[in-house]
Amino acid sequence: MVDTRTQAYINLFAVLGTLENLCELVPEAAELAQTPKPIAIGFDVKDGPAATLTFKDGKCRMEPGIGKVSVHMSFSSPAQFNAMIDGANPPISLGVILNMNFLLKQFTPLSKLLESYMRPTPEQLEDEKFFEVSTTLMFCTISVALSQIANNDEIGKFSAAHTPDGDIAFNIADGPGATLRVKDGRFLTLKKKGDNPRAIMEFESIKLARQLFDNEVNALGCIGTGRISMRGMINMLDNLNRLLDRVALYLA
Amino acid sequence: MSFELNTYAKNNEAFTRAQQLIPGGIYGHQGPAEGCYIPASAFPRFSAKAQGSYFWDLDGNRFVDYMCGYGPNVLGYGDPDVDAAALEQLKIENCVTIPSYKMVEFAELLVDTVKTADWAFFAKNGGDTTTLAIMTARAHTHKKKIIFVNGFYHGVAPWTQKIDYPGVIPEDVSNNLYVDWNDVPALEKLIAENEGEIAAFISTPYMHGNFIDNVLPEDGYWQKVREICTQKGIVLIVDDVRCGFRLNLAGSDAHYGFEADLICFCKALANGWNVSALCGKEFLKSTVSGMSYTGSYWMSAVPFAAGIACINKLKAIDACTEFRDKGTKIKEGLIAAAQNNGFHLVVSGEPALFYLRLADDDSLMLHQEWIAECVKRGIFVTNHHNHFINHALSYEDIQFTIDVAEDAFRTVKKNHPERA
Repeated sequence: MVDTRTQAYINLFAVLGTLENLCELVPEAAELAQTPKPIAIGFDVKDGPAATLTFKDGKCRMEPGIGKVSVHMSFSSPAQFNAMIDGANPPISLGVILNMNFLLKQFTPLSKLLESYMRPTPEQLEDEKFFEVSTTLMFCTISVALSQIANNDEIGKFSAAHTPDGDIAFNIADGPGATLRVKDGRFLTLKKKGDNPRAIMEFESIKLARQLFDNEVNALGCIGTGRISMRGMINMLDNLNRLLDRVALYLA
Repeated sequence: MSFELNTYAKNNEAFTRAQQLIPGGIYGHQGPAEGCYIPASAFPRFSAKAQGSYFWDLDGNRFVDYMCGYGPNVLGYGDPDVDAAALEQLKIENCVTIPSYKMVEFAELLVDTVKTADWAFFAKNGGDTTTLAIMTARAHTHKKKIIFVNGFYHGVAPWTQKIDYPGVIPEDVSNNLYVDWNDVPALEKLIAENEGEIAAFISTPYMHGNFIDNVLPEDGYWQKVREICTQKGIVLIVDDVRCGFRLNLAGSDAHYGFEADLICFCKALANGWNVSALCGKEFLKSTVSGMSYTGSYWMSAVPFAAGIACINKLKAIDACTEFRDKGTKIKEGLIAAAQNNGFHLVVSGEPALFYLRLADDDSLMLHQEWIAECVKRGIFVTNHHNHFINHALSYEDIQFTIDVAEDAFRTVKKNHPERA
């Protein structure tokens, strides 16, 4: 039931896209993202997504499409790209060779650092700061994955088509927030809290968010007790919930 | 006039216990998630007793109940005539190896009462009858596709759900076609695109979907749909589970001046005693008799006795006229209360099943705040679903409702000085 192409969109925009937030939240990541001159890596997946990841001044930014890049990574299919995300070697090109130093000494460690926050050990989560950053990064990944599923997965597109236009606030009360902007059945994730949402889904704490992400508590029960609060256009949130169901399928 | 606010300590304690044993604590439409309890803290969880148009929760808070058990409470909780008939039957027999003759009496009453009914088939829930209606249409036509009206609700069987719902697979809904309400040209186009493949068109008598203003049929809509279905050999199914016996005792198709081929009843059929019925035209009787479709409790006699008493009493009191009058008074009173406080309340649908929406923002958040303030003051209304009138609701209850609504509007106004 997992669509390879949708998985590629999630891997690129939601998973690699979280490098943006890693560099903001983790000093070690910001250090790794320091480059003497900006480096832009283009990920170009045939019959799939394309995006450019730019590293500049210790920050990282992802933009859709391939602009002027230092490294152009072409993938023959979504499956090949997904395999790289799962640990296979990237395709070799001239750009890769010329920037091998950055890729090996900075990009690969950055990716591994991201993975450590995304798949933490129970011991790591005992550290309060690590817990907070790890959960925030997971939240960012999920927020972006929602839009990728809404725009690409066949069943996700059905949910999206039934979602009224407007902004959905997807928030953690004492933590990060995202805005899911819906227009004509297409979703766009903005990694910031919105000003004027038509619907709000909010987790009462970052701790609860973690428990939900790790499937340790029942979401329906939390709605019943008010630990997850929902208000506004419930038919927007109803469809968001259906997309969240599918996020679990893709990010499992 | 101001009102004391409810507190829910015992409700919350019971809900915590329920969550240990029952999925979600309370699942389905009577629970806080699907029931859209926004905020959750404003709503009670469990009832302790019910009488007439009221229920009391575990903390002793009394509510004037405009959800009526989501429809079944049509005469009033514990109606003495219906309950006496049921209890009398209980002394005689209920769930037996062969059915009680009460089943025949109830069928005779329905055929006499419901205009389109030449026969009656009994089950338990509304969804039993919508599923039977679809199966009957397919068995009769030997076709597989079904046309639904967007925003529909016909129960919880997989065929009634959507492709993105948990537990539903694409094959469950692969023969479902969708058209907008009141859109005859779109219906004609859809039928042309699926010529010879459509078994049935199923719809509620008017669009009473959740989260949206309810919409009545345009002049001539149903007559045109009837004509098309007859021409094309499509079985016309009216899901009257929600509206049945609240608009017209002859059926909501009769109310809107047409005749369905199959009509589904449940909620108001027996004032809370568990029975549903599919009624239909003669030409489908042989088909439905051959269906493999039954259930352990479907021929229990007590609900039949209750149903007979209920329908007879609804007739005796001219209930539908009364429901329309009471619904209209509530509508007018609530709109005035809103206006007095600078709000614009839209009341849509039929007065007997009125739907509420505050139109002062495009997010429903103000509306949800107002509904919550009403509930905290003892009026049980919802922010997402149509409401129901029952016979026991008094004109004093209606005035109390309007007074509470006014106080709730004042509170919302006070909480939003930015609107001034």
